[in-house]
Amino acid sequence: MELRHVRTGVILGSLVALAVVGCATGTTTTTGASDTVANRQRLMKNVGANWAEIQNKVKAGNAEAVAVNAEVLSLHAQRITSYFPEGSLTDKSKAKPDIWQKWPEFQAAAKNLENRAGTLRDQAVAKDAAAVTTTVGTFGRDACGACHTPFRVPPPQQQPAAPRS
Amino acid sequence: MKLRHVKSSVVLGSLVALALASSATGQSTAKIWTSDAVADRQRLMKLNGASWADAQAKLKAGNIEAIAVNAETMALTSTQIAALFPEGSLTDKSKAKPEIWQKWAEFEAAAKNMGAQAEKLRDAARSKDQAATEAVAKEFGRQACGTCHQPFRVPPPQQQQQQPPSPPQQLQPR
Repeated sequence: MELRHVRTGVILGSLVALAVVGCATGTTTTTGASDTVANRQRLMKNVGANWAEIQNKVKAGNAEAVAVNAEVLSLHAQRITSYFPEGSLTDKSKAKPDIWQKWPEFQAAAKNLENRAGTLRDQAVAKDAAAVTTTVGTFGRDACGACHTPFRVPPPQQQPAAPRS
Repeated sequence: MKLRHVKSSVVLGSLVALALASSATGQSTAKIWTSDAVADRQRLMKLNGASWADAQAKLKAGNIEAIAVNAETMALTSTQIAALFPEGSLTDKSKAKPEIWQKWAEFEAAAKNMGAQAEKLRDAARSKDQAATEAVAKEFGRQACGTCHQPFRVPPPQQQQQQPPSPPQQLQPR
């Protein structure tokens, strides 16, 4: 529905603006908690979708093509912390309160995703398929899991990122 | 700065350069963006270009449903565009036109329009309806990109008469 899209756009736009201001001043946003949760879940779903595509491309022997998806992960990662203002913990959210108790660690985990995704992007741009495959092999644990394990309640049907050998 | 119509791998190559520049200046983990708005927005827009190129390649390959992820990515990045054009952020590296700030409401509307078009593309792709997805994609270059680039961006030299939307951008630099 057009109006809803416009409204979502407005909300997202102001979120971004607020996030920028929030980062500058160190205050949290005043956006409604449920909107914040919906917006960050939308962002993380797109992270998940790009990650799924990275895996598919590697499986299909198209490792070089993951650059675009890796860059998405790297850019989205920059936004993650701004989507977790204090108090944005609703019953729809799978965030753990530990996020705000260990904020610097949470920030570091988001930065870790940004950096690892940047590494993956660079390897893909360099057409180094072997390096891409190696990075992808541990990415679920080292990039996603490093944050999801300590800071997210695992979905019921989904195991927490199990360490793979 | 040399401007060419480039294939996506070249776009991504320069992406890396920008990314490196970003990480050199953007050490603070608290910041979303670096202090260089031009570099940040060029990085974002290059990603949009690469996502669009990926979507077009999938369209060509008949891989319709897979376009949804690129379209949603573009819908999400579109929400950041306006914030990346603070007043006064017009350097010699930028291809932004001053009209952006003279017609700010129109610029904002153009960014929102891109988001709406990207969502349309996403929804068509999710429905796995090839004809519907092709129809949206056919107009996307003009409706989503062009609506903003025409009034608000100085065109790259060789891209000027390049605007007809349909053919995927697979030009080989040689």
